[in-house]
Amino acid sequence: MSIEPRIGPHGRDDDLTRALRSLYAAPSDDAYWASLAGRIMARIGGDAAVEQWWQPLARFARIGLVAAAVALVAARIALSRDAARQTAIAYDGVIETPANAPLQLATDAAPGSARDATLRYVISP
Amino acid sequence: MYAALSLHTAQHVPEPSTEWSARTRERDLIVAAQHGDRGAFAELVTLHQRRAYAVARAITATHEDAEDAVQEGFLHAYRALDRFRPEQAFGAWLHRIVANAALDIGRRRRVRDADTLSDSVALPFRDPAEQDELRRRLAAGLGELSQRQRSVIVLHDVEGFTHGEIGSMLGIPEGTARSDLHHARAALRRTLGDLWSQR
Repeated sequence: MSIEPRIGPHGRDDDLTRALRSLYAAPSDDAYWASLAGRIMARIGGDAAVEQWWQPLARFARIGLVAAAVALVAARIALSRDAARQTAIAYDGVIETPANAPLQLATDAAPGSARDATLRYVISP
Repeated sequence: MYAALSLHTAQHVPEPSTEWSARTRERDLIVAAQHGDRGAFAELVTLHQRRAYAVARAITATHEDAEDAVQEGFLHAYRALDRFRPEQAFGAWLHRIVANAALDIGRRRRVRDADTLSDSVALPFRDPAEQDELRRRLAAGLGELSQRQRSVIVLHDVEGFTHGEIGSMLGIPEGTARSDLHHARAALRRTLGDLWSQR
């Protein structure tokens, strides 16, 4: 058995191409194409309707996101300021002596009192 | 002879003025659609849907999948229309999108078919109108090709796309498209050879 392809002018196997064309023939009815175009546009219309419904929400969502970001930045600044204040207070507590801190009174005896005591002990009866 | 040659040429090549006005019309429709005119996009659908279907049908296994791919393709094209530059060829741009949608449907189909083992794997082209032996054998032969080889041979031999256009649509190098075409033809000739030698 020998296979003799019938090659056409465009390098195609004519018999094979004919057979393929019959298998892959697109619907020829104009009504079919009108219906397909209608379905395509209906899908696009549905998609656009969803988009329209979502658009105001998307706008709100965008505004909400911006507000949240601003709030986050403000909170961050406030926190860092508070932390700086806390740190400053802590350092102040260490470095400075509080003005109203209770003072322990030194009851240091006069320099000669120990000697006097010894003398009193010696001369005492 | 000169007149005869002119007549011959006129039968195959559209007149430049007709082609020019068609291109201008298409460009106007694209620009209008880009500005939100859905009626203009509907006209583009009418102009391109048959060729888009042919591209999708070459890639998918069934008519229904091809229809889905065409719808998906046009929907994606509509969404991406603002990114289309008018100096591009709209047809080529659309065909790439439709081919991509068809390949995606094919991938999903293969995953589903892998779960349900059926005879549709061996014979994906189950056409109720399939009567004669040639069509049956051709369908079986095509079923044995890889999806890419099948797409390449149909896009080239049936739809007349060049190797470069096919490569661009399927995302493969032109040389690969050429080689796939060669192997697909050889495989189908082997399948159908004895049938033809009986004639």
